[in-house]
Amino acid sequence: MDTGNHHLQSVREHMAAPKPDSLKLIKDLQRPVIQFSVARIPDSDAIYLGCSDFKVYSANLGATKFEPRELYEHESYVTGVTLAGLNLVSGSYDGKLKWCAIETGQVIRTVDAHAKWIRDVLASPDGKLVASVADDMVCRVWNAITGELVHELRGHKETTPHNFTSMLYALTFSPDGKLLATGDKVGHVVVWDVQSGKQLGAVEAPVMYTWDKVQRLHSIGGVRSVAFSPDSKSLAVGGMGKVGNIDHLEGKARVEVYDWQSGNRIAEFPGDKFAGLVNRLAWAPDGSWLVGAGGAGEGFLLFFDVANKKTLRQEKLPMHVHDFEISDDAREILCAGHNRITIHRLS
Amino acid sequence: MPRISFCGSADHAVNRRAFLGSAAAGGVSLAADMTAINALAAPAVNGALKNNQKRVILLWLAGGASQLETWDPKPGASTGGPFRAIPTDVPGLHISELMPKMASRMKTTCVIRGLNTKNGDHGSGAQLMMRGRRDEAGLKYPDMGAVIAREMGLLESKVPDYVAFYTQTEGRGFAPGDSGFLGARYAPMELTTNNVPEFVRKLDGISELDHEERAGLRTLLSKEFARGRSSETLSSQNEAYQRVRGIMASEKLFDISQESQKVRDRYGPTQFAEQVLIARRLVEAGVPFVRVARAWWDSHGQNFETHQEMVPELDHIMATLLDDLAERGLADDVMVLTLAEFGRTPGINASLGRDHFASAWSMTISGCGIKGGSVYGKTDAKGNKVTHEEVDAGTLLATIYAALGINPHKNYYLGARPLPLVNPGIDAIQAVLK
Amino acid sequence: MLRLRLFAALVLSACMAEPAAAEDIPQPREPIALVIDRHIAAAIATAEVIPATQADDATLIRRLTLDLVGRIPTTAEVESYVNSTDPDKRGKLVDRLINSPGYARHQATLFEVMFNPAGDRRGGNAALRQYLADAVQENKSWDRVFREMLLPDQSDTKLKGAAEFLRARVADADKMTIDVSVAFFGVNVSCAQCHHHPNVEEWTQDHFYGMKAFLARTFDNGGFLGERGYGTVKFKPTKGPERVAKMMFFTGTTVDTGATSAEPNADMVKKEKEVLDKAKAGKTPPPLPGFSARTQLVEVALRDANADYFAKNIVNRMWHRYFGSGLVNPLDQLHSENPASHPELLESLARDLAQNRYDLKRLTRGLVMSQAYSRSSKYDSTSLPDSRLFAVAQLKPMTPQQLATSLKIAATDPATLTGKPEEVEKKLEQLESAARGFANLIAQPTDNFQVGVGEALLFSNGDRVFKDFLTENSGTTLARAKAMKEPRQAVEFLVRTALGRSPTDDETTALLAYVEKRSGREAEAYRQVLWALITSPEFRFSY
Repeated sequence: MDTGNHHLQSVREHMAAPKPDSLKLIKDLQRPVIQFSVARIPDSDAIYLGCSDFKVYSANLGATKFEPRELYEHESYVTGVTLAGLNLVSGSYDGKLKWCAIETGQVIRTVDAHAKWIRDVLASPDGKLVASVADDMVCRVWNAITGELVHELRGHKETTPHNFTSMLYALTFSPDGKLLATGDKVGHVVVWDVQSGKQLGAVEAPVMYTWDKVQRLHSIGGVRSVAFSPDSKSLAVGGMGKVGNIDHLEGKARVEVYDWQSGNRIAEFPGDKFAGLVNRLAWAPDGSWLVGAGGAGEGFLLFFDVANKKTLRQEKLPMHVHDFEISDDAREILCAGHNRITIHRLS
Repeated sequence: MPRISFCGSADHAVNRRAFLGSAAAGGVSLAADMTAINALAAPAVNGALKNNQKRVILLWLAGGASQLETWDPKPGASTGGPFRAIPTDVPGLHISELMPKMASRMKTTCVIRGLNTKNGDHGSGAQLMMRGRRDEAGLKYPDMGAVIAREMGLLESKVPDYVAFYTQTEGRGFAPGDSGFLGARYAPMELTTNNVPEFVRKLDGISELDHEERAGLRTLLSKEFARGRSSETLSSQNEAYQRVRGIMASEKLFDISQESQKVRDRYGPTQFAEQVLIARRLVEAGVPFVRVARAWWDSHGQNFETHQEMVPELDHIMATLLDDLAERGLADDVMVLTLAEFGRTPGINASLGRDHFASAWSMTISGCGIKGGSVYGKTDAKGNKVTHEEVDAGTLLATIYAALGINPHKNYYLGARPLPLVNPGIDAIQAVLK
Repeated sequence: MLRLRLFAALVLSACMAEPAAAEDIPQPREPIALVIDRHIAAAIATAEVIPATQADDATLIRRLTLDLVGRIPTTAEVESYVNSTDPDKRGKLVDRLINSPGYARHQATLFEVMFNPAGDRRGGNAALRQYLADAVQENKSWDRVFREMLLPDQSDTKLKGAAEFLRARVADADKMTIDVSVAFFGVNVSCAQCHHHPNVEEWTQDHFYGMKAFLARTFDNGGFLGERGYGTVKFKPTKGPERVAKMMFFTGTTVDTGATSAEPNADMVKKEKEVLDKAKAGKTPPPLPGFSARTQLVEVALRDANADYFAKNIVNRMWHRYFGSGLVNPLDQLHSENPASHPELLESLARDLAQNRYDLKRLTRGLVMSQAYSRSSKYDSTSLPDSRLFAVAQLKPMTPQQLATSLKIAATDPATLTGKPEEVEKKLEQLESAARGFANLIAQPTDNFQVGVGEALLFSNGDRVFKDFLTENSGTTLARAKAMKEPRQAVEFLVRTALGRSPTDDETTALLAYVEKRSGREAEAYRQVLWALITSPEFRFSY
């Protein structure tokens, strides 16, 4: 999800963010594989992709011909790639985390991190820690250098209230690296103190979870993305609103924003244009807007003015977006998803 | 009078009991035709003839479960999805990692991997898989539940002989249990809103004794009317009322509070678990066929999340059921099937879903005369096509019947027209029979 | 003229049953009932069986009332009929029933089931039933009903319901083809969809797709039935390359479609779209195209020998309605390899119907006035005659609406169902209407129908049965029984009310014993007695 370039966070906060109405598509790359995750070396064209063919690729966006190069393989879908210092760390449905040295492209460490499917991996802003979430409903925090386990964060129930296995999809660090948030299938979001590993607060977003008791007897949805505001006081939560026919991703793309300390919801964007999951969320460096990306059959980018509770822009994308990467100055958005990679620019 | 043809037979109206009988010789014929035995009123003979009574629990995965996330995983293929395949207790056989419990019990079970049924429509696909063939003009075929109810039903049974659970509303109307030309006698008792059948409990306003004597009074009044009148419909009405008290007495079979908490915990707390436990109680009491529909698997979006949620439940319940049956000594008498109207596409769509697919999919048969641990049929590397040992719906039903000891080529008769249990030319798969 | 053509067709046609010898064909003025009885009697004599005696008056009025107006008679109706010494009382009863409003309602319900046998309750059927009720009420000729249903004048609100049969099927031209063929011609060609008909040699895929070609241009235009002036049906035969289907009736008669089978040019499509959009916007029916395939179907189906299917189908269906099975069974297998039990009779009745402007009321009256119709359903011998001889009346399970209405009548104090005929008629209509909800719980009978245990459970333990039919509210049968002093009087009253006859001595003894055993709670006993009566086969069936 992220590139570990959060050390620039303090710089970003003081820059005026570009306006969403200037959004323009500048590149649309097709590639017949599902890109679940993307990481980008700051201020460069070098990116890393985690894909449905179980592989991790490096690629150069500036090359005349876009030709990702295979780095190494997992044993299942690669759902998270993140840059931590000089290493790339990837996580997969195979339950493993792999450390790869950027310089050599060699895998230097493999850790059996989770008993179930890893949903996301993220380095802390200072690049010293790596956190992973998986369907064993545990968030594990790792020493990014040594690969040692630092914390096991347990605060999500293994089963849903309807006695089915739950899933732990989303995580994020606060810009200062002090907080971690994790979100699960039933809409339960926990905020953790990174230093102590203690739970600081929790937020409930039950609308993100649709349990169909009558028609189909299973569920769909879940909290798929979380993001702290630049001041770490607000927490945005993304997913999908209530779904009528859970055979399809037909709920409206949904974002809610919480004052996580009180647990109160301060803004709600129920969506009116696009159906599908909001898989990623990020704030503008100055907090003036919040952007979400995701999709169903197709995809979208959504911009919100949280303070004024206004939707600024809703842009259709040619593919269901699974991950995005935003440049430090928030002027470039790189989206990765189903068979496609796009770059949008804001001015 | 013109010569009798199948459509215009006089037998037709006079006594369907007789012409629905078996074409097989002698005692077998009688054994198969329970109603004929009924007419002979020879319950003592019945026991001897039916000493090999088999029963079936069908776990109906309505909406179409994915073969790739259950019985025919393709790990590493572009169509394979994220889940791994795991080894089982049968050397060389791998199934999805979502089914660890069944992985250690595959010696009980036969996997049919080469289903090519060519119908990707929920309604007609479900009808096809339940009946093994398409209806003809003016001829509705009985589904396997009705056939097995008729072949295995006990004469003086106090229990219903075809029970069908389908609680979810999605897809319920697509393919209700159907006794086709066998008529209402073999139609399923459908449970949709409640785990206890409708109208099975007497109203408070009447005492137990009055309820029984009132029925007796009805029988008395019916007798005079029936004198000098012979009609299949007339008998069916009397027979239906005669079964009422028995079926009311079977109410307890539907009550899982009759089971110890330990047993209930073992199956689990979900609705599917409770209904499968009831199904086990029913077959134990002699109900020949119980279908427990578990809807709705139609994962056009989020196929993997859906299967991650639903397959472990199926794995747990199926494993528990097989263990429970074995412990009760019923493994050779009760067959457990997993079947749906079709499987799901190998191709993964943009919503990470899989769509309808009937060209290469799987089902399982456990127990009775089936060879446990056998695998029949093979699909290509991506799961797009059957490459070996292709099976259609008729062959599947022939195999199920044969494994239950029913001759699939046995005929029912409509007038002079013989109607075999499966279409002519279709045979059971010998390789998977014991 | 028509008669001559038909006759010629009968002689020539190899498709249908053996042609009748000329001398067997009755004179047109001969009453239908007599024609029926002569043919039926001849076959019975040939088979050397003894037919059942004629049913008694109480049985006959019950049968006629159920068949014609869809309910059991009131006790007053039974008594008046049984006690009447009028030699023409049966004819008068039939005339009264056949001209009552209940006749139109009941027949319309039966026709609706005929058109929608699968119980398809998609919208529009209320409108269709209303249309059918009006058609029966006005005694529209059957060929007119056929025309109005296939070529509905949708600008006439009173006729709009006629369009619903086709409109409910526009999404599936195959189904439309099959259902039109089955309902109007007694021919089910669905087998010929994929291959040549397995049982009927003369029906090929060309016949199925030939019929489909007449109907495939029909579509829905904003809630109205529309038809395109072009379009072809192509099919892949079992052998050889893909073919374009000719518009062809079952008999092989084809219709020249001229230029309309060509692919339409863009200009035509555009013009047509403008017309259709305008109709849609104005909520008016779209005009028929210059060449209407459906119009062609109606013309060809009623022309010359082709009309044989049309006439025989409705005769066979009406016979089935009153006799419990058809002269040809099943009703959708009217073809040469499935001959009628009485081919000459079917010929005669079909010819008579065609000659008499397809007047179904006339046919119905003839059917129910026959001696064959009024035979007893009881036959005291172990060897029952072949049912196809119609030597014994067949038991007919009541339809859902017949049963529900009859239950309502049995539950209603008969004293409230006497008086001025108009008032009684009104009261009966209210009971019928109140019974509709319960009717939905009952299965629609089909050939070889079996009563399921579900129905027995519903009657045994359903709260609805208790509330609808077995309370002692004022005006009910049970309230009246409860008020009676003598149990004997009460049980006799209950039997008469439910079954339209007096109890036999044995029944009286048994019922009295039942009540006496419940001494002190007679009201409960009466309720149980009434339950036993209304669940008995004597109530459940038309016998």
